[in-house]
Amino acid sequence: MPKKIFSVIFICLFIFVGCSQDEPAIKVDLDKKEQVSLKEEADVITYAYLPQYSHTVSYQRHHLLVEFLRKETGFNIKQIFPDTFDQHMTMVGQGKIDISYSNPFIYIKIAHRYGARAFARIAEIYNQENFRGQIICRADNRLIKTIADCRGKSWLAVDSTSAGGYLYPLGYFIDHGIQKTDFSEIAFSPGPGGKQEKVVLAVYAGKYDIGTIREGTLNVVADKIDINEIRVIANTRWYPGWVYAARAGLDPKIVEKIRKALLKLDFNQKEYQQILEAADFIKVIPSEDRDFNPVRELAARVGISLEK
Amino acid sequence: MKLGLRSKIYFGMFSLLLLLGIVILFVVSGVMTESLLEENRNRGVSIGVNLSARITEPILAMDFLRMKTLVDKTVQLSDDIFYIFVLDAGGKPLVHTFKGGFPADLKTANSVSEHQKFSMRLLDTGEQLIYDYAVPVLIGEDRLGTVRLGLLRIRIQKAINRIMLIAFLSTGFVILIAGFVGAFLARPVTRRIKILHESSEKALRGNLDIHTAPLLKKNCWDIMNCNKQECPAYGNLHHRCWYIAGTLCPTCVEGEYAKKITSCQKCPVYRKCSGDEIQSFAESFDTMTQSLKIHISDLQHAEKILNEQRELLQTILDAIPDFVSLQGHQSVYRSVNKAFCKIVGKKEDEIVGKTDFDLFPGKQAQIYHQENHAIFNTGKPLIKEDKISSPKGEKWLHVVKIPVFEADGNVAGLLCSGRDITELKRVQEQLTQAQKMESIGQLAAGVAHEINTPLGVILGYAQLLLEDVEEDGQIYADIKTIEKQAKICRKIVADLLRFSRRMENIVTTLDINQSIEEVAAVVEHTFKLERVIIEKNYGLNLPPVMGDKEKLKQVFVNLLNNAHDAIGSDGVISIATTFNEHNNEVIISVADTGTGISSENMEKIFDPFFTTKGVGKGTGLGLSVTFGIIKEHEGTIEVQSPPRFAKEKNGVDKPGTVFIVHLPVAGHMQ
Repeated sequence: MPKKIFSVIFICLFIFVGCSQDEPAIKVDLDKKEQVSLKEEADVITYAYLPQYSHTVSYQRHHLLVEFLRKETGFNIKQIFPDTFDQHMTMVGQGKIDISYSNPFIYIKIAHRYGARAFARIAEIYNQENFRGQIICRADNRLIKTIADCRGKSWLAVDSTSAGGYLYPLGYFIDHGIQKTDFSEIAFSPGPGGKQEKVVLAVYAGKYDIGTIREGTLNVVADKIDINEIRVIANTRWYPGWVYAARAGLDPKIVEKIRKALLKLDFNQKEYQQILEAADFIKVIPSEDRDFNPVRELAARVGISLEK
Repeated sequence: MKLGLRSKIYFGMFSLLLLLGIVILFVVSGVMTESLLEENRNRGVSIGVNLSARITEPILAMDFLRMKTLVDKTVQLSDDIFYIFVLDAGGKPLVHTFKGGFPADLKTANSVSEHQKFSMRLLDTGEQLIYDYAVPVLIGEDRLGTVRLGLLRIRIQKAINRIMLIAFLSTGFVILIAGFVGAFLARPVTRRIKILHESSEKALRGNLDIHTAPLLKKNCWDIMNCNKQECPAYGNLHHRCWYIAGTLCPTCVEGEYAKKITSCQKCPVYRKCSGDEIQSFAESFDTMTQSLKIHISDLQHAEKILNEQRELLQTILDAIPDFVSLQGHQSVYRSVNKAFCKIVGKKEDEIVGKTDFDLFPGKQAQIYHQENHAIFNTGKPLIKEDKISSPKGEKWLHVVKIPVFEADGNVAGLLCSGRDITELKRVQEQLTQAQKMESIGQLAAGVAHEINTPLGVILGYAQLLLEDVEEDGQIYADIKTIEKQAKICRKIVADLLRFSRRMENIVTTLDINQSIEEVAAVVEHTFKLERVIIEKNYGLNLPPVMGDKEKLKQVFVNLLNNAHDAIGSDGVISIATTFNEHNNEVIISVADTGTGISSENMEKIFDPFFTTKGVGKGTGLGLSVTFGIIKEHEGTIEVQSPPRFAKEKNGVDKPGTVFIVHLPVAGHMQ
């Protein structure tokens, strides 16, 4: 009897061991090869969000909106992601971006350079139709109390082309008698993407004395730092907000169809709340090129060429 | 083939070690392999997840350069990363690390849903096995694409094989070492058990002189530094002192092992000399066999004594003429003696274990059973006389049944003893008869004495009358008849008087041959008329006998007359006399060739008035008178019918009778 038990144990062990070694494998033939080619889709209307944040944020903010437009217009609208502001502008000029969603400063540039035309703009949560820039420093920075204290300090701006993050605050400084040369250093946030956040983080880290951002950025970084540690020194005047522009040459019918679709978006209507929440604005309002003349004036005042 | 203990231990040990080794080998290597695979899986997942996170932006930007750079750099991280490629949301390859085109099969070989962190599949390219990882590229819940990563299994397989080899070799090594150590440890055990086994075999064969335990290395008298040579443990090299009774150490407790072991365990000798369990077993085995030997010897001695006692008892029982039996419960016979066997007519082994119902007829057995039952119930003994009839004749038995009590007072059995009192009964009867005869004799003597005188007158007058009448006349004849009958009466009266009265003996020394010759001479002529011849064979030089010559002649007359009557006619009467020096007696025998005496009459022939002769022919007093006369002479008379010598001589029964008279020679008689 004990011999039988031993035999059974041994057999079971060997079966167990044998089984454990065999994993099921799927046969694949690596010799069957194909050439990868990504064919450009026809009739694609490209939609780009000025890369003020990372592509991921851009995607998260606008992919629902793009989805909405696709359904609403029936066009094959696709969101694309240029790496830099310049690339964004260039691609508008090249016709690679059909619908540009950009700040007013970029808009006046692409309007000036490539004939793009505004057809709608957004209303934000804080001030419905306009937005402004903010000058910030660390809350515990005793050396900077007023705008005049910014003289001689190091300044980190978002980008030389950034409206809320550079141009509006620059205009504000000039209006208050502080020239670019009065700063010990003017630096721009490294790219690509996430440039607004980087300004807040750099000031928070103490690397720069002051920073300039568009209003609303502090809320974006609220999950990364304690925003009470940041003090807003001054707010600029209001300028028109972000703008939807169509590249030159885009069929006006298409533009009109997209404009109508966009104008439907209203936070007060439930079905659009999720889209607008992601996109971080509350509605789209009609707009035209002359709405941006104040911005053009500012550019002229601070000496920024629209050609560059 | 039967395995020995050593083989079983080796086999069991090897099996256990092998089993243990295999279990450890496969469990440990299994766990390690699983850990390695898990580690590898985690590594693949980690690389995939990392790449997935990093490739999100380039995918969104459709920055193929960055995507390509990312996948190429990741592939270079490790030799075992065979490939990486990225599929878009529609499953089309965006970038890959293959040269010369993308293997189409790979696209569908593995897939992962948005809800899974990753998916792993083992792929077989025919040349090698690859772990393929699929990791989704997600933004929030939106699927951008899939990162696919292939890790060569060869590296992990090599590591697994190395682990298996090391585990196998180390297990084998451990089994080998453990085997050697086990054998080294088991050998003394098996050797000692073998010695024990051989010793027990010897003991079973009857050899109890066994020394299983090894010789003592340390002796108790050395440890205790004692010189008590009279101690039974002193000089005993084979037995530990705590197994020996009567040791003389001051600390020792008297008695045998069971009594002294508790105190012995505290003794330094015990602490130094006691061994492990097997040694203790061997020592106690030796002591047991020694003790067994002594006990067996005692038993044999006791058995011998018992046998002697039993034989003695049996001899006594068998020698006792009385029959003896012992019955247990239910009256079953437990023991009987020879006399009992003889009475029952069976052998001892046919009786023991049986009951009365098996041995005796139903009615008799029932009586015995009731008697026994009563004794068992009452405990009172029974004494009785039984008459038993059998084909050989009737027997009288005097039976005593005594209850045998147990220690608690209950009757355990009954002892029955009895003896044959037939002879006693007969003598009692004879005594009664003799007393009766004596009374009759006295009566007859009285009557005879009274009749004798008138009878003498009748005879006298009858003879006177004869003288007065003529002889030719009727009267004479009648008177003659009266005379004749009166004479017969007178003879009867004389015989009666002789029988009843002790007549005075006139004792002289006499020659028996002469006395017989005188008697023979008288009757010889008469016998010849009936052709009955008397042969005489007188012994020479017979010593003289003291006695009353007339009375003895009367004896011889009676014997010769009886012989003649028994023959009737045509026969021989042999008379022989001899001297028996041994008993200092003279033996006279009178034998005839007559009809003989029947066995039933044999005992009665000396009784008075017993006769087989016809009416008027005999008085029945002859042999009684003869018996009385011989007795007076302190002799004896016996009768044999047929004569023994005739039987011995011819070998066949021959009718006839011999009377043999033994008479003490002169000087012997008081």
